[in-house]
Amino acid sequence: MDRKPADNPDSYPPLGRVLMWFTDPANANKIFGALAGICLMTFLADFTYKKYGHFAVEYIPGFYAAYGFVMFTALILAAKTLRIFIKRPEDFYGEKAIDCESYPEEELEQVGHDDA
Amino acid sequence: MMMLNLMPTAFIFIAAAFLLLALPKGPLRAALLLLVPLVAGAQVWSLPEGTYGQFDLLGLTLDTMRVDKLSRIFALIFCIAAFLGNLYAWHVRDTVQQLAALLYAGAAIGAVFAGDLITLFIYWEATAITSVFLIWARRTEGAYHTGMRYLIIQITSGVILLAGTALLYRETQSIAFGAMTLGSLGTWLIFISFGMKCAFPLMHNWLQDSYPAATVTGTVILSAFTTKLAVYSLARGFAGTEILIYIGAVMTLFPIFFAEIENDLRRVLAYSLNNQLGFMVVGIGVGTEMALNGTASHAFAHILYKALLFMSVGAVLFRTGTSKASELGGLCRTMPRTAVFCLIGAAAISAFPLFSGFVTKSLILDETANEHYPIIWAVLVFASAGVLSHSGIKIPYFTFFSHDSGLRPKEAPVHMQLAMGITAFLCIFIGVYPDTLYALLPYEVEYRPYTMAHVVGQLQLLCFALLAFAVLMRSGIHPPEIRAVNLDVDWIYRRFLPRILGGVSTGLSQLWAGLSRALHETLESIVAFLFRVYGPDRGVAKVLPTGSMVVWIAILLGLVLVVNYI
Repeated sequence: MDRKPADNPDSYPPLGRVLMWFTDPANANKIFGALAGICLMTFLADFTYKKYGHFAVEYIPGFYAAYGFVMFTALILAAKTLRIFIKRPEDFYGEKAIDCESYPEEELEQVGHDDA
Repeated sequence: MMMLNLMPTAFIFIAAAFLLLALPKGPLRAALLLLVPLVAGAQVWSLPEGTYGQFDLLGLTLDTMRVDKLSRIFALIFCIAAFLGNLYAWHVRDTVQQLAALLYAGAAIGAVFAGDLITLFIYWEATAITSVFLIWARRTEGAYHTGMRYLIIQITSGVILLAGTALLYRETQSIAFGAMTLGSLGTWLIFISFGMKCAFPLMHNWLQDSYPAATVTGTVILSAFTTKLAVYSLARGFAGTEILIYIGAVMTLFPIFFAEIENDLRRVLAYSLNNQLGFMVVGIGVGTEMALNGTASHAFAHILYKALLFMSVGAVLFRTGTSKASELGGLCRTMPRTAVFCLIGAAAISAFPLFSGFVTKSLILDETANEHYPIIWAVLVFASAGVLSHSGIKIPYFTFFSHDSGLRPKEAPVHMQLAMGITAFLCIFIGVYPDTLYALLPYEVEYRPYTMAHVVGQLQLLCFALLAFAVLMRSGIHPPEIRAVNLDVDWIYRRFLPRILGGVSTGLSQLWAGLSRALHETLESIVAFLFRVYGPDRGVAKVLPTGSMVVWIAILLGLVLVVNYI
């Protein structure tokens, strides 16, 4: 399929035009702000109810928040480090793997959204 | 219906396979593929608990239909998965794929209902043989080799199961498939056989190797059966086996690192599948009623959201020809419905409240805490954040949002949208009305997933993980999607061992050549020596004249005389 870099929203389905808003770099700050706001709300919600849990750490306000943030970051950094050691060219396994071959076209229906 | 009730469920699929061949290619066949799982599902639903379909084989009694709550829930979700997979594959006109999809689902359901180990073995191998055609149906060199690797591992698992069964029979005089205790060689072999199919760590790589190699629709069908059959078998045979807790915890953990840096999104989902199996295996290891409920319900929910994710990525592959993250992005513009379905699958697997993963995974996590496994609990919570990272964020974000790849494919075909729509509906339905699913579980459920502590805790974990993702993306620390493959354990048998064997065989042939050359040279020198000594005109062979003999006798006599006189 041809790559068409030009954006032509009028030809997209209405739902597509809505979702497109999220891909606009101009809105990135708004999305980030909204996410940070939601995060703050979930943190503050911790003070509104009586906590219960199996382990002492669960009683610390914002425990899940901190655990989620720290472990997610650690995961990404660890994966990035792992990549240094295990990354190989795409044709590493040659013809005995599917990594380099293209999917047989006759099995597909590669149609553009504005094709007749 | 009476007739139908007497028939083992698997036979419905086998009979339908013959019928399929009699029908002309086209919508009739596709309709049959939808009808069969519905009929089978109705049968599974209506059968009362008990054992049916017994018959004798070589002095052994085989139980082909053991219906209880555990086998029923797995058979039921297999029927639903077969229906949804076949609806998704409505456009496929390839007889090989249609037959494989039908018989594979039948074999998996047959295995779930197996009341003895021989029946289990037969269906176990049948799932291997039928499913490989979903990979080979891609009809490329790479798919052929990948299929062979897949088949060898799957068949080996079956052979080990048979060996274990034989040893167990010698020990206990029984082939019944019930709860076992690890100890004898027989039980260990059965355990390893189940573990191979369940993708235990170090035995897992067939999964990530083969699932991305199958056809667009084949992967959706593959994702449902084989591994969940193994989960069922472990739950049936080895519930409460403590080693499973640790195996499961490792399973939840290591795939998330690989998934994070994998480029082929169907392989990312295969890693993610492996991670989800880990949660189920931990539940089996804990082994309490609540934990087993957790495993069964999580398997049920997982089959649906995993199929949904494979369907959405498959639809993208169907329209664009690629499932590589590095080549995709921005597809929400023209494939918005597929994007929404994908987001629902992502929310379900990430266990957002109101989605299916939340109400099933909580059972396992809570029971791990109840039974005082703090480290395992911490690992599972971490792994939950990991699930969000690759299945919750990476799959939808790099396919449908992220940077604009410039691809403007048409929305997925209607039947694919329908299949995704129904699956997405079920993911939400289970999340909103968990009691519907809880009622099907093997044991009584008294559990409320929607408590304030639960919901807020989970939302905190997920939202702050999302925030971490946003921060890492904005700071450019998040690893980019690049065209590459990553080494995993399969490197050992795809590269290292062939190299070693190649080296050894070259060495051996050189040694053999050297030895035979040395032997040849030795023989030649012996022959040459003999020729020198005994050959014509040589010393030994010379004909001496009679005169010289007389001279020598005279000399000897003379010597004797001289000695006598002295």
